[in-house]
Amino acid sequence: MAGRPVHVPPVVGSLVNAYVICRRKAWLMYRQISPDEDNVFLHMGRLIQGQSYGRERKEVRLEHLSLDLIRRDDENLIVAEVKKSSRARAAARMQLAFYLYELREMGIEAKGELLFPEERRRERMVLDESLAQQVEHLKESVLMLVLQEQAPPPERTSFCNKCAYTEFCWA
Amino acid sequence: MQKTLYLFASGRLRRKDNTICVESDEGTKYFPVVSLRDIFVFGEVDLNKKLLEFMEENEIILHFFGYYGNYVGSFYPREHYNSGYVILRQAEHYLDPARRLELARKFVDGALANILQVLRYYQNRGKELAPYVESITRLAEESLPACGSVEELMAVEGNARGYYYESFNTILEGLPFTITGRSKRPPADPLNALISFGNSLVYAKVLTEIYKTHLDPRIGYLHATNFRRFTLNLDVAEIFKPILADRVLFNLVGKKMVGLEDFERRGGAYLLKERGRRLYVQELEEKLQTTFHHRRLRRNVSYQTLLRLELYKVEKHLMGEQPYEPFVSRW
Repeated sequence: MAGRPVHVPPVVGSLVNAYVICRRKAWLMYRQISPDEDNVFLHMGRLIQGQSYGRERKEVRLEHLSLDLIRRDDENLIVAEVKKSSRARAAARMQLAFYLYELREMGIEAKGELLFPEERRRERMVLDESLAQQVEHLKESVLMLVLQEQAPPPERTSFCNKCAYTEFCWA
Repeated sequence: MQKTLYLFASGRLRRKDNTICVESDEGTKYFPVVSLRDIFVFGEVDLNKKLLEFMEENEIILHFFGYYGNYVGSFYPREHYNSGYVILRQAEHYLDPARRLELARKFVDGALANILQVLRYYQNRGKELAPYVESITRLAEESLPACGSVEELMAVEGNARGYYYESFNTILEGLPFTITGRSKRPPADPLNALISFGNSLVYAKVLTEIYKTHLDPRIGYLHATNFRRFTLNLDVAEIFKPILADRVLFNLVGKKMVGLEDFERRGGAYLLKERGRRLYVQELEEKLQTTFHHRRLRRNVSYQTLLRLELYKVEKHLMGEQPYEPFVSRW
């Protein structure tokens, strides 16, 4: 690829999330090979995201970022990510950390919050140096992955069961 | 589970708030839009653009059939699964003769394998089908690998189907139906009418499933692409026609659910009447909802889902991930 300018779409939050859960999912998403829209869990997730926290502001788009919720408390800007369950908590954490990192790159300092409305749980998050480094590292890994010619072969994990790509992967 | 709505009665099809409303002499019926996958329209139905917009929003396909049960066309809403990557791969495989041939051969391969499976089923039930099985096996094992062009593949498939349709007379022995060769426009006997009706339903079913994938239905491999007609669904349907349409046909005729009185004769043509059509789609739906255990997915899937899985396999072949192997029924 050397010498030739290549347009590479930016890494986005959902891609970071996918990468932590399943690298194959991230590769497919990057190519707009979207999952099966009839999947019930996908519908449920969207419903929960759309219906929870009705009074607060939601779905803010900022360049390549798509933030579920933005709110301000006394002195902080708080960015929140809404998830159906905490099953993929690690992935959700990295997605949120990625948002905080990208915002900081734009000159916006914010704090994070993970929201699990069904579980009535919230988790605060602050972007410290070690987390920022993890994000940087992760961004690089995601790019390396998605630029690969071939998708990583499917690997069965506990996420396969309810994943909207299951049928595609295991057909 | 999304369902297929079959409309036989004439009347009006419209959007009523957020449901689909069918008004006919038999009364008014409402169908929740989220529970519908596609609609097969056989009757004389009035509809408006508002309905089409509603169909587009909810990603529902409308398939239209004419008075003779013939396929007229589909309202294929704007694509909602878009992937430039997949389309390019699909075109790439069409434009390269070697790759196109490879895929086209797989479709014929799958079609013949499933035809043989149907014949063996009836052989096990004491029907004298050995000569047909032999002839078709020879085509599958000797002629098919030797084909160097898509045209040759079509010819081999045509020959195989010739034997296959002839075997219907043996399978349906003693019943009031016989077939003398395949005839389409118009079908010259009741069996041909049933075959045509079934095939056009399978074509439409596969088209609906293609809509739910990233594949473009206009780029097929066995059936020539001419940029106007859907062709990929015809390719994939080849594999499923024997195990879906033909099995339904044998059921209906074998169990004497349809008889000569279910056909209407018009000049030299035979038409399946409404009662027959209703019975046919009922049987087909039952077949499509039948489930069996899928080893790789590790759960039960229906034939309906199987259609989609087959398309995913094609998609993965195009992506260079896994060479496509057609589904072959094991029973």
